[in-house]
Amino acid sequence: MIITKQKDRDKLMECIKKHDKFFLIGCSECATLCGTGSPEALDEMEEFLKGQGKTVTGKLVPKTGCQTLGTKIELKKDKEACDAADAIIVMSCGAGTQSATEIFPDKPVYPANDSLFLGNMTRFQMFDERCSLCGECVIGMTAGICPITNCPKGLLNGPCGGMSDGNCEVSPDIPCAWVRIYERQKRLDNIEEMKETIEAKDWSKGQKPGRLYAKKQKEETKG
Amino acid sequence: MTFKEALESGKFVVTAEIGPPKGTDISETIHHMELLKGKVDAVNVTDNQSAVMRVNSLSICKIALDHGLEPILQMTCRDRNRIALQSDLLGANVLGIHNVLCMTGDHVSAGDHKGAKPVYDIESVQLLKIVDALNNGRDMMGNELKGATNFFQGAVVTPEANPVEPQLIKFEKKVKAGARFFQTQAIYDIEKFKEFMGFARRFPVKVLAGFVVLKSAGMANFLNKFVPGIKVPQELIDELKAAGKEKALDTGLNITARHIRQLKEEKICDGVHIMAIGMEDKVPIIMERAGLL
Repeated sequence: MIITKQKDRDKLMECIKKHDKFFLIGCSECATLCGTGSPEALDEMEEFLKGQGKTVTGKLVPKTGCQTLGTKIELKKDKEACDAADAIIVMSCGAGTQSATEIFPDKPVYPANDSLFLGNMTRFQMFDERCSLCGECVIGMTAGICPITNCPKGLLNGPCGGMSDGNCEVSPDIPCAWVRIYERQKRLDNIEEMKETIEAKDWSKGQKPGRLYAKKQKEETKG
Repeated sequence: MTFKEALESGKFVVTAEIGPPKGTDISETIHHMELLKGKVDAVNVTDNQSAVMRVNSLSICKIALDHGLEPILQMTCRDRNRIALQSDLLGANVLGIHNVLCMTGDHVSAGDHKGAKPVYDIESVQLLKIVDALNNGRDMMGNELKGATNFFQGAVVTPEANPVEPQLIKFEKKVKAGARFFQTQAIYDIEKFKEFMGFARRFPVKVLAGFVVLKSAGMANFLNKFVPGIKVPQELIDELKAAGKEKALDTGLNITARHIRQLKEEKICDGVHIMAIGMEDKVPIIMERAGLL
């Protein structure tokens, strides 16, 4: 899921200072799991804004904020509240925020959250990054552990000289990705695979902005 | 005799290190070069070491060359993508620089520009392959070059890494990628280093043991605590302590000289790399005490 954290409130207030009336949009997927776009988070934001002398005209937690069309349809019932707002505050990830940018061509849209990374919830509201969305997955060669994400240098051919007692030079709180890969390859009796050199990565596979038309691609693959 | 010829001849070689200055005043750098000239076989010029921004390695390599020293261009993958790395390699070669040491590079978080975007487009093993391609008249994409490079390429290894196995696997990859010589992280335990050499001797590469002079027991403890891959044995720390403050540095120089002498006499490795880190004037003293001058 996309991991988000709430922006510093002073920074948010600085962004929205010229507006008075807001419609709030959350998301029932990742942002709810992160506690940054849940119904409770929206209630709390409403209270905060009221305390700052602002008005909240309405709020919605759409099913999937980044599903632009679906969110647009869900918002229909809130048309009046949306029309009454000077601006939209979105409490989801950057993608959900930009759904609102598309849905509201004539209204300013502000993010209430910072989008951090694509990761897993390892314990309740504890998140660890797992994937860098690089465009061409390498973990089939690295024991199912992504070195591009788990190593701060994204090294593809083994640990650097900064590894210390199995941890990273950047922080002792980061286990060295390549020691983890080594341990797992050993466990899988697959050490020989670690001796294969992984070639320089083709970063063009992850060129921005990404775009995929899955239906068309499926037809082409079949053809 | 060039650095490469010296290694191939079986001579016990000595390399030292020059850290480029932060700023344009190169007078001290040139003074260090004068101290080392005619004594060492080559000098490594570091590449923004510890991710602290300084004069680039390439320029100081050229100045070393002009002052009669043979430079080893240290090249990290932290600050340049594959286009810039290859371009700098070609540039270095046309300036007459023929040795290159391929390394990953300390992370930007260690340095003085912590908000910099770390590049690591490629890494040390892949960089060695690139050097090999350039030496064979092709860039890494296979495009033909008008004139090939003639680099003697090396890499680094940390013999006392813990765990060491992934480090040894990477060493093997580096050999396969074309590394001809290795310079090691600082070593302090000769018996343990012998074990590493037992492994390294299975490959057709030259190995230079790395040395950082211990100035005091405090420094040894600091290295043990904060520098990855360095393990100073307790008996050396005790030896420095026993020497007292006044004689600690002299004792540190003796320890380094004693270790180098042993490596040479017992033919354990092919040479040594002395990282003086600000004490370049001590390099000739170490060499003298080790019987190398």
